[in-house]
Amino acid sequence: MTATLDHTAAPLIRRPAGRPLRQLVVPYLYVLPAALFVAAFLLYPMVLTAWRSLTHFDGISDPTFAGLDNFRDLFADPHFLLSLRNTVIWTVAAVIFPVTLGLVFALAFSRVRWGGFFKTVIYLPATISAAAAGILFSFVFNYDNGILNMILRGIGLSGLASRWLFDVPTNTFAMIATYTWQQTGLNMMLFLVGLQGLPPEPIEAAKIEGCTGWNLVRRIILPMLMPYVVITTLLAIVNGFKVFDLIWVMTQGGPGRASETLAVTMYREGFILFKQGYSAAIAVVISVVALAFSYFYLRSVLEQEARQ
Amino acid sequence: MSAEIGETTGVVREARFTSALILTVFWVLPIALLIMSAFKTPIEFSSTSTLALPQSFHLFDNIARAWAKGMASGFVNSAIYGVVASVISVILAAMAAYGIVRLRIPQGMFWFLLIYSGTIFPFQMYLIPLFNLYLDTGLYDTRIGIIAFYVAITIPFCMFVMRGFFLTVSWQVQEAAALDGANSWQTFWRIMMPMARAPLILLILIQFTWIWNDLLFGLVLTKSESVRPIMVALAGMQGVYGASDGPSVIAATLVGSAPTLILFLALQRYFVRGLTLGMGER
Repeated sequence: MTATLDHTAAPLIRRPAGRPLRQLVVPYLYVLPAALFVAAFLLYPMVLTAWRSLTHFDGISDPTFAGLDNFRDLFADPHFLLSLRNTVIWTVAAVIFPVTLGLVFALAFSRVRWGGFFKTVIYLPATISAAAAGILFSFVFNYDNGILNMILRGIGLSGLASRWLFDVPTNTFAMIATYTWQQTGLNMMLFLVGLQGLPPEPIEAAKIEGCTGWNLVRRIILPMLMPYVVITTLLAIVNGFKVFDLIWVMTQGGPGRASETLAVTMYREGFILFKQGYSAAIAVVISVVALAFSYFYLRSVLEQEARQ
Repeated sequence: MSAEIGETTGVVREARFTSALILTVFWVLPIALLIMSAFKTPIEFSSTSTLALPQSFHLFDNIARAWAKGMASGFVNSAIYGVVASVISVILAAMAAYGIVRLRIPQGMFWFLLIYSGTIFPFQMYLIPLFNLYLDTGLYDTRIGIIAFYVAITIPFCMFVMRGFFLTVSWQVQEAAALDGANSWQTFWRIMMPMARAPLILLILIQFTWIWNDLLFGLVLTKSESVRPIMVALAGMQGVYGASDGPSVIAATLVGSAPTLILFLALQRYFVRGLTLGMGER
């Protein structure tokens, strides 16, 4: 990164005194188009969602004010509670598997022959869409001729062959495996950026002291890498909490509504069942949780930037 | 300046290399095996083992069938959306960043936060009103409508990155341009934008990839085959033909994933730099 110039010290550009009005207006002409796009397509709908969450609204007749009814109903609704439980499972798994594996791969590939090639291959799944990954893996998990069951039957473990995407809770685990396959590369790259930024001196010193292998990783490298572990974990929580595409193409939240997460439940209530006020309340719940973690995430990123 | 870890005797080095190789092979194995299915006829696919090598070469037939089932328009649509929306978005975002940083709009922090706040909330927070708004205004299921939304949702991140870039540009450059009689518009296009080529290209890449890979907003804001983006077309195809014509769905998914994969491979270095910019969020 190039150093930021201290522009506050630079002299202001003074325009001839004859055109003060124009000078006043010009900056707005640059900022307003972007601001209008964001305000019209993002901020305005957001405010409406917050408002709608306090109403009963089917999308056709006029909304009626409902206070906190929707939120109270949510926590009495078995679909919502199951969905909430699934979301917690997803979030925890999204941290444990892709982040841990990402860290292991980053450590393993940073010092090995063909390291660049390995990194690229592991990252490739992250370049395709979650929808595409979901479609491909629904073939891998197919009961009759999916690759996984074929291999299991081939090595004499046909008892383990399952209806991966139709049994509960197996289907959630199958989808998390797909998610892990896709996300690990991204986390690995973030850890590699972190590893590259580590100062070499403490590591050299530790090596001279005879600290090697796993000991070196545990005592020296991991502690120095900790800010990146925190950032990657928080990012994984925020992303894991919002998963939609993958579930939508693999199970649509089914069978029934057994594998829904909050993002899927929100979509189903709003766009299939047309309970828009109720759906808005779910959106608010998702946002509050995601915002809390985003706050910690941004704070860690800014702290890390300030440290560099 | 990479972190060299541990001693490197020959045996240890070979063991590491071998385990890394096995790990990587394991990672690509499911998809590598699945690719074989894209070569088979639907009958061959359902009557022989998925692990068996293809007996025939029907890849192009499978792709052609997928194309006839609606993939063609999805592919073209997403290419248009990805290019047009990311270019417009990057230009508008660069203008906003220029106005905030270089022209010092009053209350610059307010304008920065106003635009940046568009990226803080999860998508769920604007889906339903957006859908209603699109129905009311006739933007629903139109190309203009979905492009406008893709522009809006990609602006905040682009503005954030461009603001960071413009903060690093020397003020002497701008003063020299002013002395030469250039107005702000000329300074923006002739001096600032050419200097910002690297971040601009990077942002267009990131946003093209994001738009290409989007499913959710395509589902919510479009309906007809002639407007819907590629991922919606793919998901729809899987729902309808997934059971009866696996090979063409697999072939279509592979072809539909190719553009972003190729973009990454061709421009890897830019992408890795991009990760550190936004730390991978969205």
